[in-house]
Amino acid sequence: MKSTVDDARFPELSFSSNWSPWEEVHAHTPEQNTDLIFPRDKLVEEGSNVTFCYNSGINQNISCYLDRELIHGEQLYLNIFTFKLNNVPFIREGGTNIYCAVNYTIKDGTVLFVSKVLEEPKDFSCETQDFKTLSCSWDPGVDTGLFFDGQPSQHYTLFESFSGKKKFCEHNNQCNWEISRDLQETYNFTLTAENYLRKRSVNTIFNLTHRVHPKAPDSIHFNNVGATNATMTWKMPALGNYSTLLCQIELHDKENMRQEHNVSIKVNGEFLFSELMPDTAYMVCIRCANAKHVWKWSKWVTRTLITAEAAPSKALDVWRKVKPEKGLHHVTLFWKPLSKFHANGKILFYNIVAKDLDKKSELKLQSIPAPANGTELTLDQGSYQIQVTANNSVGASPASEIVISGDSGNEEVEEQKINGTKDGFLISWKPLSEDRAGYVVDWCEHQRNLHCELQWKNVGPNTTSTVISSDAFRPGIRYNFRIYELSTEKIAYLVENKIGYTQELAPSDSPQVKAINVTSHSFTLSWKDYDTEAQRGFIQGYRVCLKSKATQCHLDSVAELLPDNSTCCEHAINNPKQKIFLVENLQPESFYEFFVSSFTSAGKSPIGTFTKVTTQDEHSHMLMHIILPMVLCVLLIAVMCYWKSQWVKEKCYPDIPDPYKSSILSLIKSKESPHLRIMNVKDCTPDTIEVVNKSEGTKTQFIGIEKPLTESEFPKPANLYLLPAQDFCVPGPCISFVNHTYSESACDSGSCAHTPVPDTAPPCHLELLASPDNLLNTLEKTHTDSLGEIPAGKISLNYVSQLASPMSGDKDSLLIHSPVPVLCSEYKMQMAVPSCLDSPVLSENGSLSSMTLLGQDKHYH
Amino acid sequence: MPLLLVLHWKYGAGSPLPSVNATCATRHQCHSSVMSQIRNQLAQLNSSANALFILYYTAQGDPFPSNLDKLCAPNVTDFPAFHANGTEKAKLVELYRIIAYLGASLGNITQDQKLLNPNALSLHSKLSATADVMRGVLSNVHCRLCNKYHVAHVDVAYGPDTSGKDVFQKKKLGCQLLGKYKQVIGVVTQSF
Repeated sequence: MKSTVDDARFPELSFSSNWSPWEEVHAHTPEQNTDLIFPRDKLVEEGSNVTFCYNSGINQNISCYLDRELIHGEQLYLNIFTFKLNNVPFIREGGTNIYCAVNYTIKDGTVLFVSKVLEEPKDFSCETQDFKTLSCSWDPGVDTGLFFDGQPSQHYTLFESFSGKKKFCEHNNQCNWEISRDLQETYNFTLTAENYLRKRSVNTIFNLTHRVHPKAPDSIHFNNVGATNATMTWKMPALGNYSTLLCQIELHDKENMRQEHNVSIKVNGEFLFSELMPDTAYMVCIRCANAKHVWKWSKWVTRTLITAEAAPSKALDVWRKVKPEKGLHHVTLFWKPLSKFHANGKILFYNIVAKDLDKKSELKLQSIPAPANGTELTLDQGSYQIQVTANNSVGASPASEIVISGDSGNEEVEEQKINGTKDGFLISWKPLSEDRAGYVVDWCEHQRNLHCELQWKNVGPNTTSTVISSDAFRPGIRYNFRIYELSTEKIAYLVENKIGYTQELAPSDSPQVKAINVTSHSFTLSWKDYDTEAQRGFIQGYRVCLKSKATQCHLDSVAELLPDNSTCCEHAINNPKQKIFLVENLQPESFYEFFVSSFTSAGKSPIGTFTKVTTQDEHSHMLMHIILPMVLCVLLIAVMCYWKSQWVKEKCYPDIPDPYKSSILSLIKSKESPHLRIMNVKDCTPDTIEVVNKSEGTKTQFIGIEKPLTESEFPKPANLYLLPAQDFCVPGPCISFVNHTYSESACDSGSCAHTPVPDTAPPCHLELLASPDNLLNTLEKTHTDSLGEIPAGKISLNYVSQLASPMSGDKDSLLIHSPVPVLCSEYKMQMAVPSCLDSPVLSENGSLSSMTLLGQDKHYH
Repeated sequence: MPLLLVLHWKYGAGSPLPSVNATCATRHQCHSSVMSQIRNQLAQLNSSANALFILYYTAQGDPFPSNLDKLCAPNVTDFPAFHANGTEKAKLVELYRIIAYLGASLGNITQDQKLLNPNALSLHSKLSATADVMRGVLSNVHCRLCNKYHVAHVDVAYGPDTSGKDVFQKKKLGCQLLGKYKQVIGVVTQSF
């Protein structure tokens, strides 16, 4: 046993007494089945050595464990054992069970509380923000508290030696100390940490004015905020006039700190910012510290300062594209938006003014709302000065001028090829004139789009080359760079036009080829320029690939292995302007396939579908030379024959023989009959036709006529009288033919063949009156009967009159009564028909026989 | 009477209540289904007793979970007796004594465990819920005894005072009591 004196107020007096002398005490033997372990609920520090005693009574085989780990034991007496634990670790706040067992039967146990070692407070310091309270703080380190009253957390005591005051701290990391009214200048603090097992102290001594930690400035305001300057005011709370403060002010924009200032103040501060950017948001930060001895700066306080807008400070970068059309200039203006640095505020609109330089008048004023970057104007072909300004809420930017002359857009210069690289294009040109304001290089950045996104670059007047680079440049895309020289009058003249690729690629497509002039031994291939987008490089020539059954290629071609392992004969065309190729030395009637590919410096276009051509037969050409004239001749003859057919017919085989030319005339003349003469149609007055009786059911067939007559047009006459028109008959002799087929007298006689022949009648042989003898006989009888010399009862032949329309050319044709209102009808051939044929003519069934005769010419019943 | 019991369920309570000759007076008539409520409450206690026991011995750390027969055997001296074949009145009186004993012991155990194992929140919750149900059983039994059997007073006994025991002994006694509780509550529930 020993005693210890320990008082924070007198740390120098802390001491411990010596240990008392050992005293021997006899332990009683516990009762049966009553074990004893000692100490119980022991609290030790981490790393300590602990010895337990165990009085086992009558049991002598004892084992003790700490968290299932056997503890080394030593038997002091028969029933007394000791168990030692060296350097015990901290296990948990709730303590650790130690238990002892006899033959694995737990007899007793206890809990060992192991505390962490109390640490010395770190970073102990005190400071004041208001000269009223000192705030002391420290880092307490680990908490040594344990559960179940094992040990509470350590507590802290603050002792100030000059005043002799002591304070128990409520928190384990900070403590407040009231400053006396007399403003004690120096303080000497001792901070003591204590738990059940240990005490730890730290000390600090300081001058109060050296431990001033001001609070953050407040009441920060910006006054008189303009476009380039502003005034900031602020206050420092709580310090009063005890000390001078140094305030640090920083001005940041979005990217960097732009200004830094130090200002000394007492309580109220004021600072004027100048050289600010218009319409810019700044972050203003301020903090303060004691000016005489900077212990700690106050916290930063940040405020946002937004300056007012000002008129844009820079003219727009303007360029144009001119498209002349129908006497007008379609001008597309482009401009690049002003940077925030130059815009000095939000651009609201753009003003465009076009002045006619010839008429010295201001023509057009357009106001384009932002955020536009271009507009279109339509001007006549005069010269115009176009001014563009950007406007914000304060004012307009300086005007940007550009002049459109009458020749603008009509310039043509030859395209020049240039080679680009991945880094861009190096473009050089030759100046047009000495007096120039500069150059502009323009190009379309996205050539694939229909709408060209025009880009331009301004180059100084003394520069004749520049590098155009852009992230938008892509391999295989043709870019067109136009270099303009700007005169001092702001007129742009096209200097050069260059095209190039950052990297040429093999063509993606091949030309569309047609095979023309196919002969037996050759054909010609022809193609045109195709889309530059598919060319993907400068076309250097073409390759004609020809496949045929021939196994060997001609000398002017080489065998080329195709992707499908077939071969073709490849002819090289190294002139990109050549777009025609004659394939010759071919076999007649042979099958060929060809394909034309283009190539650039990067390679050939891919092989596509081959076009098939079959050469012609070798003799077909000769045949064409013979057969074609022959066919033409035959056709010519046929046309001639057709054209003269009427004449030939009239001459050779007229349909109606000319009675004056007929051989009958000679026969008549031989008879020397005074009554016989040729009937002249003009001498005859047509008979009047009267319908006497209309027989129902009788059908009249009009066969062989061009237009069938209907009942409405014609009645169906059963008997027709050919009545002499005595009143109208000319005084001259007129011969009228009575058609006895329909003659009433003939019918009354009962022997008229008008009576239909029964079907059982033997078939009549149609005797054509073609033979001269028959014809002659017939004509004789006809002539006789017409004069009434033949009695009705002896009629064996009926006359069938054939009436024809008068022909214009037949002035001498016979006049005859017709059913149609024709005054005179031509008398046509009077043919004798056997009586047996009479009936079929009238009967329905006999129409075929009648057709045979009537079909030779036009016939009217 | 229940109010007195509840007031005495505090840490360190262990001695029997002095005999109070109080009249059998309750503020309200017992509900006709009070026996049914008692049975339901017993069943609820019986169903949660084993879980409470497991939570307890697990929270005490080694060697408790592996030596239940030695450290948590239901050897509780002075635990009130219960005769399952007795009359309803006798069983209710014995039940009253048992629940009073257990309620007081659970109060001590709960308080100890909040200090010993402040992080064992499930155990704390289960102990509090069990104590709440026991208070309800005690009230209903009292009501039944008073109304039907006109028993105004029951002598009760409490467990030993553990306030002076060391931590290991407190853990061991608590484990033994919960083991006994698990065993007894099953028998009691069956008898009703």
